[in-house]
Parts: sequence; structure tokens; C-alpha cells
Amino acid sequence: MFLLQQLINGVMLGGVYGVAAVGFALVWGVMNEINIAHAAFMVIGAYTSFFLFTTLHVDPLASIVVAMAVAFALAYPIQRYLLNRALPHGLVITLATTFGLNLFLENVVRRVFSSDYRSISPSYITTSFSLGPLTLPLVPLLVFVLAVAFTAGLHLFLERSSLGLAIRATALNRVAARIVGIPVQVVYAFTFALGAALAAASGTMIGTLQSIYPGMGDAFLTKVFVITALGGFGSIPGALVGSLILSLVEVLSATYLSPNIVDFVAFSLLVVVLVVRPQGLFGKRFYGEEASA
Amino acid sequence: MRRYAFWLWLLLAAGLLALAPLALNEYWMRVASSVLMWVAMAEALNIILGFAGYPAFGNGAFLGVGGYTVAVLMNHGVGFWPALAASVLVPGLIATAIGVPVLRLRGHYFAIATIGVNFALLSLIQNLGFTGGGSGLSVPLYPGSAEALSVMFFYLFAGLAVVSVVVTQLVRGSRLGYAIRAIQASEEAAAVMGINGTLYKVAAWVISAMLTGAAGGIYAYWNGYIEPVSMFDIVTSVKLFIMVLIGGAGTVVGPILGAVGIEVVSEYLWSTLGGLHLAVLGLIILLAGVFVPRGLLSLRFWRRRGRGRDGAPTNRTWGVDEGGGAS
Repeated sequence: MFLLQQLINGVMLGGVYGVAAVGFALVWGVMNEINIAHAAFMVIGAYTSFFLFTTLHVDPLASIVVAMAVAFALAYPIQRYLLNRALPHGLVITLATTFGLNLFLENVVRRVFSSDYRSISPSYITTSFSLGPLTLPLVPLLVFVLAVAFTAGLHLFLERSSLGLAIRATALNRVAARIVGIPVQVVYAFTFALGAALAAASGTMIGTLQSIYPGMGDAFLTKVFVITALGGFGSIPGALVGSLILSLVEVLSATYLSPNIVDFVAFSLLVVVLVVRPQGLFGKRFYGEEASA
Repeated sequence: MRRYAFWLWLLLAAGLLALAPLALNEYWMRVASSVLMWVAMAEALNIILGFAGYPAFGNGAFLGVGGYTVAVLMNHGVGFWPALAASVLVPGLIATAIGVPVLRLRGHYFAIATIGVNFALLSLIQNLGFTGGGSGLSVPLYPGSAEALSVMFFYLFAGLAVVSVVVTQLVRGSRLGYAIRAIQASEEAAAVMGINGTLYKVAAWVISAMLTGAAGGIYAYWNGYIEPVSMFDIVTSVKLFIMVLIGGAGTVVGPILGAVGIEVVSEYLWSTLGGLHLAVLGLIILLAGVFVPRGLLSLRFWRRRGRGRDGAPTNRTWGVDEGGGAS
């Protein structure tokens, strides 16, 4: 029973990782851009909800929408007018550039809200259900359901809508996408903004589970890296599976080995998976790799 | 004449560095020591990133390994110089052991794997008994006066910076240098030409790790105390990347310009802006990446700037082997 409870906790944690990871994997997969500023958009999302909760008492699960809109509106012009210029110069340049963006945004948040730890705690924060001997805390459960809904929604959007089709076409072959009339620059900006909105959503979700502070995004970004590599670059379902694997590995190694070596296990797993199966456990070949093939 | 230009410039720079303690006060000696440490590490990263084209994103880990080697050995009564020698060897051995499997990976995969190595080492150091765990480790104090200390460490970092620049210059003109540049251009073509890819890639990474490790070793003794989170901070690696890229990867002078530029600018911003200096530094990095993506050295070659607006690869794309390296 104890093991089952740990597994349930692991799965619920995995949902939140998943929302953070799918946005990151999407941006990476579609335009070959490792967006370090993903961390900053998580922070912006969390603080947007924190601000709305403390000033207007808006429920954090409702203000997720606002947090996403704020991040989207901020991210779209950044990609459209700045990062698109760095994109042709390759992965490492965009990585450095988005690191600069991350440093800038994060320190602006720090300036506005200070470095203090804050929490978003609605009245129902301690509610939980019992299921026989198992405990299901309400907030993590709601967050998990939302996380699954978001990931499924993104998957449907990419598979079924015409904009999603344009995004996938651009990921597969940007030259051909342009030939058939897809405005590649706009698709990139939209994809980046969508990734930022998902980051913001995960930031708010994290805010309902634990305290928030301006550096919180960086800690989560390293996990997102591991997940993206585990699941397979650019694969949305892979990111979700990777999230579940990471959270289960974390919970199990904390339970059976030692809470101190969780990171060692997670990162060693990452290196081993990369060496044995670079495309990730469930990944197909990376979108960007096929772009110019 | 051109052949000797590098060595003449180097001699001039070394002479200026030798005389610098006469002109600088305590504060500027500290700043200069730190700048020289970054020059050495940026040049070390340049060997694997700029020449071989492998984005070693976790190179800062060798700073931590070197630092911990010196700290642990000196706590066991070993003198500074043998400890420093070990802080060169241990990162070299680790790079050899990890390099053989990990350098088979390309582009993103390699970058991510080195990040994984960085964090795995961090977690290991945090949990080993003899490293002092998460609370860090103090290093025996330098026995001389404060003034002697500042001069000695300035010369140590200056020496290491000069060694790094010389090593880079020598690598550039050597068999190794041609091999790794061939690998960057196309790994398959290099293999067809009979270049043993694994051997040369590992050799380049080992040199890079050794120089970075030495910087960590000197830093540990200089600072007198080290702790895992700051010694394995991923920001160190990111900063090194930015220095190399802003200066101009694959050149000998570029990383020096990048390291001096970033360190001096961030020192200046810190002293004038205080709390907002990181935000402004971030903005500068962002704008540099957007508007000068080929590094400061490229500014002389306006005509060669990339014009692929929608992501078509230009003649140099760092770290990504698009289309399996055959583009």
C-alpha cells in the first residue's frame, strides 16, 4: 500500500512536469531552439497568479488562463522580432540568446516582487479524499487532471487544427513549408508563444503545490531538460511519458535509496539513456534533424 | 612577419601582465585575477566548442572537479603544487572516461549529456563524505600576507591564461587542430579521410578539461572555501559559452575578447546598477545574440553575415549537425 501511495504521488507530480516539458519540447522540436527562458515564463506565470490571488482573490486554477495569456502576449513579439533573427545561426546561439532573455526577465520579476518565497494558498489547499488506505490530496489531483487535459489539448491542436498542421509542416521541412505558403516567421512566433503559455500554466500549477520565488524556474528547467531527453526530442507524448518516468524514478529512489541521491539517479539515467538511445526512450527521430535531410 | 605576430603580441601581453601588480590596487588585482581565470576557461571551452564544434555545455563541471581535487588533497596534508597537478590530471581522466561514450553523441544530444554529467557530479559531491557534502569544504589558508596572496594568485591566473592561449594556438596549427576542424566541417568526410574521430575528439575534450580543472584548483586555494552548488553551477558553463560565442568561436583571440568584455562589463554594471545588473547583463547578451550572432570578431566581415532569414542554415551553425552533417 505504501508503494502504491508513493506511485500515486509520483504520477501526480509527473503531470506538472509534463505541462512544463511539452511546451519546451514543442519549441525545441519545431524550430530547433533550446529555450532557456522557458524558466522565466514559468516564473512569470506563477507570479501573475500570485498577484491576482493576493490583490483580487482570483482562484489560481482560474487565473491559469490569465497567466497563459500574459506569457503568450509577451513571448510572441520577442520571438517574432528578436529571436527569429538569431535562429538561423544555430542551436548554440539561440541557447545563449534565450539565456540572456531568461536572465533579464527573471531579474525584472525579482525587482518587482523581491526574492522572498511566496505562496498561493486558496481555502481548499488542505482538502484531501481518502480512498481506502490511500490519500488523494485535492489540489495535486486537480492539477494533475488539468495537466493531462492541457497535454491532450495540445496534441489534438497539433494533429487536427490547420494551424497545428502548419506548425508540424514547418518542423518537418521549413523550406517546403515556405514554398506552400506557410508564413514560417509567424509560425515560429506562435509556437514560441504557445510554449511560453504552457510554461506559465505549469508555473501557476507549481505555485499551488509549493512556494514560489524568482529562481524557481531554473530548478525546474533542469528537470525539463532530463524529461525532454528521456522522452525524445520534439515528441509531445514522449515528453509526457518522460515526465512520468522522471517523477516515478524520483519518488522511488527517494523512498528506497535515499532522498539525497535523487538527482544523481535522475541525471545518471539521463546520460545512460542518451548514450544507449540518443533519440530518447519513446522518441522518433528529432524533427529538426529531418528538416534539411 | 605574420608568422611571428602571435608570439610578439603574446610576449607583449605577458610583459604587461608581469608588470600589472605594480599599477593595480587590491580591488583591481582581484578583478583582474578573476578576468584571467575566465580567459583561461573560455579558451579551454573554445578548443572543444570552437574547433571541434562539440557544444560541451557542462564544461563548468571540470572547474568543480579541479577545485574539489585541490581542496580534498590539501585537507589531507598534500602541498598546493602537487594538488594543483592532480587538479589537472583528475579532470583529464574523467574527460577520457566519459568522453569515449559521450562524444559519440552529436549536437543537442552531446550538449544535454554534458549537462547530465555536470549535475550527476554535483549530486555525487554533495553526498560523498570526504568532500564535505552540501555544506562545502574549506581549504588551508595561504600562509603569506594579504598582499603576497593577491600578487601570487594574480600571477597564477595570468600564467594559466597565457598557457591556455598558447595551448590553443599550438592546437590550432597541429595535426589535432586540423583533425578536429575537419570533424566540425563533416564528421563523415573526416572519417573517410582516415581521421580517427574518437581519438581526436577525446583528446580535444581532455585538454579542455585539464585547463578548466587547473582554473578550479587555483580558484579553490584562492577563495579558501568551496561548496558544491557554486562550483557546479550551470551558469558558469553558460557564461563560458557566451564569452566564446560573443568573442568569436574557433579563433584564438575571440574568447579572450569575450571573457574580458563580459567580465569587465558585468563588474561595471554591478558597481553602478547594483540590484539590476543581472537584468541589464541579460539584455546585453540577448541583443548580442540577436544582432552580432557571429561574435565581435565577425564585425570586420560585414559581407559574410548570414542572410538565411527563416532558419536556412548559413555557412556556420554551432553545435547542430543539421541533415546528418552532410549539408
